[in-house]
Amino acid sequence: MDQLLEQARTVYEGEIDFEGQRLAELLTYALLSISGVVAFLAGFVTQDIYQTLYIGLGGTALTFLAVVPPWPFFNQHPQPWLRAKTGPGALQGFNIEVDGQKVS
Amino acid sequence: MHNTLTRVQNVFGFFTSVAFAVAAAIAMSVLLSPQTPSASLELRNVQVVKGRPHYYSTKREEYAHVKFDLDADLTSLFSWNTKQLFLYITASYPSSDPTIIPPSEAVIWDAIIPSDYAPLHPNTYIHPTSKTAPKPKKSAKGKGKKEVGKPYPAGASPGIVRLDNQKPKYQITDVSGKIAERENATLTLHWNVQPWVGALVWTNTKTVGRWQGLQGGEAKFAFPPLKGTEVKKDDLKTETGGERNRGSPA
Repeated sequence: MDQLLEQARTVYEGEIDFEGQRLAELLTYALLSISGVVAFLAGFVTQDIYQTLYIGLGGTALTFLAVVPPWPFFNQHPQPWLRAKTGPGALQGFNIEVDGQKVS
Repeated sequence: MHNTLTRVQNVFGFFTSVAFAVAAAIAMSVLLSPQTPSASLELRNVQVVKGRPHYYSTKREEYAHVKFDLDADLTSLFSWNTKQLFLYITASYPSSDPTIIPPSEAVIWDAIIPSDYAPLHPNTYIHPTSKTAPKPKKSAKGKGKKEVGKPYPAGASPGIVRLDNQKPKYQITDVSGKIAERENATLTLHWNVQPWVGALVWTNTKTVGRWQGLQGGEAKFAFPPLKGTEVKKDDLKTETGGERNRGSPA
């Protein structure tokens, strides 16, 4: 049961790593800005404001699709976290000395 | 950006900024499109008769019925950001004391002229077809369907208005109830350009940047003396728009 909930939480939260976060932010700004510029120019050239509306909304939808789900390319650089300090396997492989005495 | 919800919020937040920036750019871009509106407005006939403000009223007032000719080319007012043009003609006449009281102004006719891209609306103005022009042939496919009129003459584009001996939409009176024999009256063409995004633009008579002021669109006249029953009721009819005969006295 706990495992199932854990899986549900992973899907729901859709966390990505630090490099992925940087990429996601870059994508957001780049895609939305480009779609805004393209939408304006397309509408201005064709003299049809509906082009602007639909290209702008389409670009936004595309951005949502590209950025929001935790795609695998956002998780290419997993962080090598330190091991847990409590529980089984805690403080394994560390040399901790207190006042010259080895405690672990 | 670490989880889904934050990414949704970030994308949507930046989308609003981009939408605002694009809207501002569209609103400013209309300054680049040149405007050269011109119109010729002439008085055809004006009659003043007694009437009632509404059917059950016991009050009797003087009403002026103004017929006019209008030949306007306002196509340059339709840029890519124009949703519709609200066109109206006012009759204005000076007050008893022009130094203190401003002149009175009353609308005698108006029309909503949509751009070709605007969605259909029942209040939309339909340009009268000239009697000399050939009637559009009825196609076998469209039988039973009513021919949908255009807000501009056949073969023209939005902004072309050619009205000949046009009935007014509204008969006008003064607050005093007396409008006969007033001198120095003026018929004036006005408009509002209603954009998809941006500011509402009113009639400009002066040249600003690439926008030229309106050429013509004014006619001087005087209200005639009051007439009695010799005026046929048929001659005092008003034009009814899609919004029915609002404002016409009984």
